[in-house]
Amino acid sequence: MNPDSPSNGLRSISTSAALATASAVMLVPANLLPVLSTQTSGQAQTNTIFSGVVELWSQGLWAIAVIVFSASIVIPALKLGGLAWLLLNARRIPRADARKWAHLYAVLDLIGRWSMLDVFLVTFLTGLIQFGLLATVEPRSGIVAFASVVVLTMLATQAFDPRMLWREDDRHPSPVSPS
Amino acid sequence: MAPGERALCVRCDTVMARGSRIGPDGALAFTVTGLVLAIPAATMPFVTAAKLGSERVSLLFTGVASLWTHGMPEIAALVFLCGGLVPIAFLCCLACLLVPAHFGRKAAVAEPFARFVRLLGHFSMPEVQVLAVLVALMKLGSLVDLTLGPGFWFYGAMSLAVLFAVRCFNLQAAARPDPSAPPAAAKAR
Repeated sequence: MNPDSPSNGLRSISTSAALATASAVMLVPANLLPVLSTQTSGQAQTNTIFSGVVELWSQGLWAIAVIVFSASIVIPALKLGGLAWLLLNARRIPRADARKWAHLYAVLDLIGRWSMLDVFLVTFLTGLIQFGLLATVEPRSGIVAFASVVVLTMLATQAFDPRMLWREDDRHPSPVSPS
Repeated sequence: MAPGERALCVRCDTVMARGSRIGPDGALAFTVTGLVLAIPAATMPFVTAAKLGSERVSLLFTGVASLWTHGMPEIAALVFLCGGLVPIAFLCCLACLLVPAHFGRKAAVAEPFARFVRLLGHFSMPEVQVLAVLVALMKLGSLVDLTLGPGFWFYGAMSLAVLFAVRCFNLQAAARPDPSAPPAAAKAR
């Protein structure tokens, strides 16, 4: 497959856009549905991703709250926002700015994996805390939506070919440049 | 490439290849180390939780099995892949590339295989799982008494070995050069 051919470049953008859109849709249930339910001595409590962060904060675990908040809320939002910006502008970016945009892509690519933190966290807690009536942790459906957000954004970043940023052939002529 | 030297893409500054400071066998050493550490990491007690006299020993994949029985096989599979199978498959692929090179039989790497290895590298995230376990330990605090088992330490060491192996290894140098890739220029650091 030749990444320099116009049709492959466009395909890279449309595949990536489709995956990013799907992930933006899943972001809604991921943040609204509970991801975890905890039962301790008869008291049941369900947490969404955000309420989990708030709980950590109120326990005084500020550093941990900031880590979880960054990995679960800031990174997915940044990644989707950055990806949307990149996809909407990929064919209009002046060649002089391509290097800056390629750096943005590299950063998006690097940070995405850390969003898996919450998925690993829920899995680990479910495996460990099974003490019947004393203390039990159970996963809730929000984690499925959240995991799909993480995987879909990672696939969307993978689908985008940063070499697009340097290609000239299928760009729209820039309105400011003299033709 | 000489130790400390880096090859950067002239267009976008991406590091294409890196001269390992430890020498060319560093990547192989870390790969073998990672594969050896994976065995105790998966089989020895990971974390032990105790509450009012009852004790529960969890292994690396106890959470995965537990999610499976709680009706979330897709999440169980994802965690099993990203935290266990993919890092090991990634190390195995590196070993397949590095062992023949060590004995002087450096073969050209087909581009699809190189792409596959890069994809494995993307979805191999043992270090994220280590951070998640540390966060969980802080979060649980007073709810249960927790003890880290040897499995956790072996797993942590394995994830470091994966990171170091990736750092020492450069796929672009091992892979057959892609004719359509932008030209790379070597710059001494």
